Amino acid sequence: MVIKILAFAGSPRRHGNSEILLDWVLDAMRKEFDVEVEKYPLTEINIAPCKGCNACEKLNTCVQKDDLTWVEGKIIDADIIILSSPIFCMGIAAQPKALIDRAQVFRSRKYVLKLPIVPPERKGKRIGIFLASAGQDWDYVFDAAIPSVKCLFNVIDVKNKDIRYLMVNNVDEKGAILDHPSAEKDAVALADEVLTTMREMKRE
Amino acid sequence: MKALGISGSPRRGGNTETLLDAFLEGAGEGGAEIEKIVLRDLGFSSCKGCNACHKTGVCVLKDDLTEIFERILSVDILALASPIYSMSVTAEMKAFIDRGQFFWARQFILKDLSFDPDHMQRHKGFFVSTAGQNWDHVFSAAYPVMTAFFNDIGFEYRDNIIANNMDEYKGIKGHPTALTDARKAGASVVAELAKLS
Repeated sequence: MVIKILAFAGSPRRHGNSEILLDWVLDAMRKEFDVEVEKYPLTEINIAPCKGCNACEKLNTCVQKDDLTWVEGKIIDADIIILSSPIFCMGIAAQPKALIDRAQVFRSRKYVLKLPIVPPERKGKRIGIFLASAGQDWDYVFDAAIPSVKCLFNVIDVKNKDIRYLMVNNVDEKGAILDHPSAEKDAVALADEVLTTMREMKRE
Repeated sequence: MKALGISGSPRRGGNTETLLDAFLEGAGEGGAEIEKIVLRDLGFSSCKGCNACHKTGVCVLKDDLTEIFERILSVDILALASPIYSMSVTAEMKAFIDRGQFFWARQFILKDLSFDPDHMQRHKGFFVSTAGQNWDHVFSAAYPVMTAFFNDIGFEYRDNIIANNMDEYKGIKGHPTALTDARKAGASVVAELAKLS
């Protein structure tokens, strides 16, 4: 059974530290025979911020017809959803925050309209990965980004226990992560663990 | 004395903006000159992460935020208002905050901008927010973002003007104390700053 992987590179800077981290994970995954990988840099697609109109609570769809209209379906179809972002001012960058806020359409579907996000046979068989980089060397530099990430995965039916985090601090200048002692190894190990877990989920 | 409110809500006249208005009215009644900027009405891009400001101290983007950032340091009271979306500030408010990176670069890399304790004491920052959820911790992940921004621009992060459980109260106007408290907070910070001068 094919494992569908959907990845969003959230940084406004192409091929910077958080995207390099993402590419390590995706390259490791692509080496496997049973995967389909799709990667979308958020700089290349147009997802506007949520307008807060709450129309999705009634319509079950977003009134803004931008790239989210097709991205929405891909989020539902994917087995593994990956988001990468740099930390700016202690939070997730504005572009991935817009994507997270637009996931309100899933929140409305799940909690207001009480409709399923994925078909019953796929429930509990989804994994989310959050990859992040930060310039600061503080241990707590990622703490304030995590609640937003959990919101996203929660509304698209990824359980908390099925979210993985790989967050690398103290990398600021473009490409600084290439000199990090363990980031690449950790990314490859994460890819391996997540694919193994997904294969087990699909067998159940 | 100047009090500037910046509304990061995509909705006009909603709970957060109404709360901000109460705070600004209080500041106005206390004697400050008040101004409100609504981010939704402006044209601006989010930070490109190019780090050019780390070398120049200036943002390469020129848009509606340029003029605001030119005068933001000259206000005495700054209230940043955003509803909580997905446990943090809105994407618009985050985009505004991220664009302040050049202040950080000037303070901590180029070191051509610094704020002494007396300056910090005379410049007060407030976070104004509402949330639909009734959780006490619903604002928690926004605080570090505000701390970072106020620190970058040399404002003391004075207080949070916040009200949760909007869904239950059917909006800010149904809240028993929030608007009155916001108005009082606006007036009292003006009085406090007036004593310093």
